[in-house]
Amino acid sequence: MKFNLNLVTLALIANASVFVPNIVLADGYNLQQANTSKVQLDKWECKRCDVPTGVSGTVGAGIGYNDSDDIRSANAFAAENEFAGKVDADVNYISKSGYRASVEAQDLGMENGRLEVNTGKVAQYNFNLNYRQIATYKTDSAMTPYQGVGGGDLTLPSNWQTAGSSQEMSQLYASLTPQELSLKRKRAGLGLSYQGEELWSAYIKYQREDKTGLKSASGSFFNQSMMLAEPVDHTTDNLEAGIKLKGDNWFTALNYSGSSFKNQYSQLTFDNAFNPTFGAQTRGTMALDPDNEAHTVSLLGQYHLGKTVMSGRVHYGQMTQDQAFVTSGYGYQLPAESLDAQVDMSGANLKVVSRLNRTVRVNASYDYSDRDNQTEIEQWTQISIDSTSGKVAYNTPYDITTHRGKLGADFRISRGMKLDAGYDYRRDERSYQDRETTDENTLWTKFHISAFNNWDMWIKGSYGERDGSQYQASQWTSSESNELLRKYNLADRKRSMVEARVSHTPIDALTIDLGARYALDDYNDTQIGLTESTDLSYDINASYLITDDMMVNAFYNRQNIDSDQSGSTNFGAANWFSQIEDQVDVVGAGFSYNNLLENKLRLGVDYTYSDSSSNTQVTQGISGDYGDYFAKVHNVNVYGQYQATDKMALRLDYKMENYQDNDPGNSIAPDGIWNVVSFGSNSHDYTAHLVMLSMSYKL
Amino acid sequence: MKITNKLTRFIPAMIAAALLSFGASQATYAAKWDASMTPDEVEATLDKKFAEGHYSPKGADSCLMCHRKSEKVMDLFKGVHGAIDSSKSPMAGLQCESCHGPMGKHNKGGKEPMIDFGPTSSLSAEKQNSVCLSCHQDDKRMSWNGGHHDNADVACASCHSVHTAKDPVLSKSTEMEVCTSCHTKQKADMHKRSSHPMKWDQMVCSDCHNPHGSVSDADLVKPSVNETCYSCHAEKRGPKLWEHAPVTEDCVACHNPHGSVNEGMLKTRAPQLCQQCHSSAHSGQALFGNTAQGASVTDNAMTGGRSCLNCHNQIHGSNHPSGKLFQR
Repeated sequence: MKFNLNLVTLALIANASVFVPNIVLADGYNLQQANTSKVQLDKWECKRCDVPTGVSGTVGAGIGYNDSDDIRSANAFAAENEFAGKVDADVNYISKSGYRASVEAQDLGMENGRLEVNTGKVAQYNFNLNYRQIATYKTDSAMTPYQGVGGGDLTLPSNWQTAGSSQEMSQLYASLTPQELSLKRKRAGLGLSYQGEELWSAYIKYQREDKTGLKSASGSFFNQSMMLAEPVDHTTDNLEAGIKLKGDNWFTALNYSGSSFKNQYSQLTFDNAFNPTFGAQTRGTMALDPDNEAHTVSLLGQYHLGKTVMSGRVHYGQMTQDQAFVTSGYGYQLPAESLDAQVDMSGANLKVVSRLNRTVRVNASYDYSDRDNQTEIEQWTQISIDSTSGKVAYNTPYDITTHRGKLGADFRISRGMKLDAGYDYRRDERSYQDRETTDENTLWTKFHISAFNNWDMWIKGSYGERDGSQYQASQWTSSESNELLRKYNLADRKRSMVEARVSHTPIDALTIDLGARYALDDYNDTQIGLTESTDLSYDINASYLITDDMMVNAFYNRQNIDSDQSGSTNFGAANWFSQIEDQVDVVGAGFSYNNLLENKLRLGVDYTYSDSSSNTQVTQGISGDYGDYFAKVHNVNVYGQYQATDKMALRLDYKMENYQDNDPGNSIAPDGIWNVVSFGSNSHDYTAHLVMLSMSYKL
Repeated sequence: MKITNKLTRFIPAMIAAALLSFGASQATYAAKWDASMTPDEVEATLDKKFAEGHYSPKGADSCLMCHRKSEKVMDLFKGVHGAIDSSKSPMAGLQCESCHGPMGKHNKGGKEPMIDFGPTSSLSAEKQNSVCLSCHQDDKRMSWNGGHHDNADVACASCHSVHTAKDPVLSKSTEMEVCTSCHTKQKADMHKRSSHPMKWDQMVCSDCHNPHGSVSDADLVKPSVNETCYSCHAEKRGPKLWEHAPVTEDCVACHNPHGSVNEGMLKTRAPQLCQQCHSSAHSGQALFGNTAQGASVTDNAMTGGRSCLNCHNQIHGSNHPSGKLFQR
């Protein structure tokens, strides 16, 4: 058999004479540093290298029965209807000449199906085709009196009687129809990559995504509002291309990434279900997400200089939007027919990592990024849809510039003992906001020990302080804002975090892993707004290989996030306070038993339970709460796989989801709030089952 | 003394379990030389062997004299690292010894250490990785050095295998298990009331993060948080006429993309979330919800229904000429 020698090896052979045998001790086993002076490659025939050719892999198909009375279960089962079918494949082909192809299909036909096809020659070229679907489901019982759902013009029935309150709308209940709020993405793509014989390679990838469905929206007039089903029919095209150049100790890449977004619906018009108020409007129109484009070019590079690695990236991008303005029902002069908006995005990054000796490695990086909104500032007349909207307003195109610097070092104190420490700096400069500049300084450290037999543990901590220029509440926002308000993304903050994890392997077959994390954000100069938030979580995981064929694992996680905030009803000092307490418990366990019935049967079960809950309390003399906001879900998957013949296996899956959630603020009848026409209560309480029988055939 | 960590020990076992193969479970025996040598001695020997460069007389044929009986060894030829017709494959260079180092006297009883990888290797992750990184140098791996997984001493072979037709970690259905075996907080996050659809493998960690490190925060695949979000949520990109400042600045100001107890992955629900930044006569009211005095959270549109969003629906910005208050 004959071989092509790779470039690295050829270079090594050419340079072999410069190596002095037995002297150079490399820091690692980098091939470029290999001492090949004694190799006699002409005798390396590789007679025993047995590359299998032909087709191998498995193909399979399955059919399932889905028993569910709530479309939400399709998130878990990827099945909308009573019956579901799927095709799976994992097929490889290798030809004698080295041509390879692979087809991977997973759950194709289900709502979460994927397909990936690759064909080409290793390290020469590859052609890729792919398809992927992502579907998410909210509810199938959003109740709406509107007609034309799915389009951009929502009308009320011809016999609709407007009223001052939703309870007085005589035709409301007679007009309600249930709608499914769900979104489906279908992505298809193709790509080609090519590697040159020498230093270079290039790629081009194209992807189109269609996203369709309905999502919740609200249309309002003055203080009255109707929930609306907003049509989603988006098409996004993405194109990525690049060229890479590579040498022994350097490489560079020039990449382009472009994206074009198109929305089938530029506006959503809706009838007013209420008696007209300000502006006497009987119809309203809101602008939906406008068509837009984004293009980015980036240049990256890396250079190895001995034990030092330098890398960097510069990028420049533009986001543009020039969709014609919505004018239905507007009636005022516009400064332009469309915005011609443009945001320039630019950035630069440089990072150096250097190993000083066996013990110490240092790193430093600087990162600059800039969002420069070039959109013209104009005067826009605001229509009267409420009593507080002004007549004329100017747009505020936001700019933000961020500088970040990092310095760090890691010390290998001894084998199995390592200390990391670093300092991070961040400065943000913003336009049109309450604070022009914020500065944050953070110190962090991590200590890791794995030197003790069967133990691995680490502890990590960080402390950071953020402050900045003078805070001028309401300079650009609203003159009505309380001057003691500090927005949490701009406010002074002391942030501390400590996290520890211990992993113990008392016997080879058993691992127990424990971790805990506590984080505190103290907004130390805030009187109105978010004042403090804490996040405590801990988890335990265990995994046990009972026998070579039996494995069991279990985990538990608890997290508590508590936030305190305060407000003022009189523009003065804080006089009301609220506490939000979130708690999550997640429990899971799995068991599998392989090689039963003379190595033909595999059985397993996986179970998870999660309980998310949140409690909000507001106090100002009297005290109130926001009710029991929760979601509880049990998921079970029991499966058995039987190897019927050498080639064919059968698999039976049973999946169960028991789901219950509640949102007290939304657990209302369509006319539950006098000035809202709502979708009705969209809480869930269901148990759904899926049984799937599948077979796979080994090629 | 044996250096292992959770990742190197468990991922292969998990992958084996996740794959529905009927093959015997993987036995994890330490290498022969670990019985008689400390990791320091092993490393010193390997360093010396690498510098001396005593490669085998016949390359792979020398190695396969003994190792061809191992199915795992021969599986190399099913994958790209065993391709014998590519000028860039290890098999076109120093063959087995490209990765495992010069044979030296290893063929005399197998007691002399070779560079080995994965769960039972006593060699440091940095030294194991130096082998892989000598070829795998490109824009997707340029931030490996000093990156998150490098600092945590994760070896390439902790997640990847090359002696196989297909590297299991590259399959979307096993990726989540691999990542969450260490990232347990994120594992819990995806089970919360709302999260990206990661629980059912519709989305995977690598959709947003580059496990090999990137120059962006949190090893994101795009230069910033927002640009990463825009890669799927292009409709939020705008630029729109009326921008909501925190929306243009940072999606994670309000959302936790890994999951939340609240709908929409919101860190806090409206109206409290909005009131953390807005305190006018209209927005600064104390909104009590259910009280002993008989008030209910569903009494009014400030707390009931979609709360602030009942009117300010266009909270991600509006392109309507009259959209300053995000109502149109």
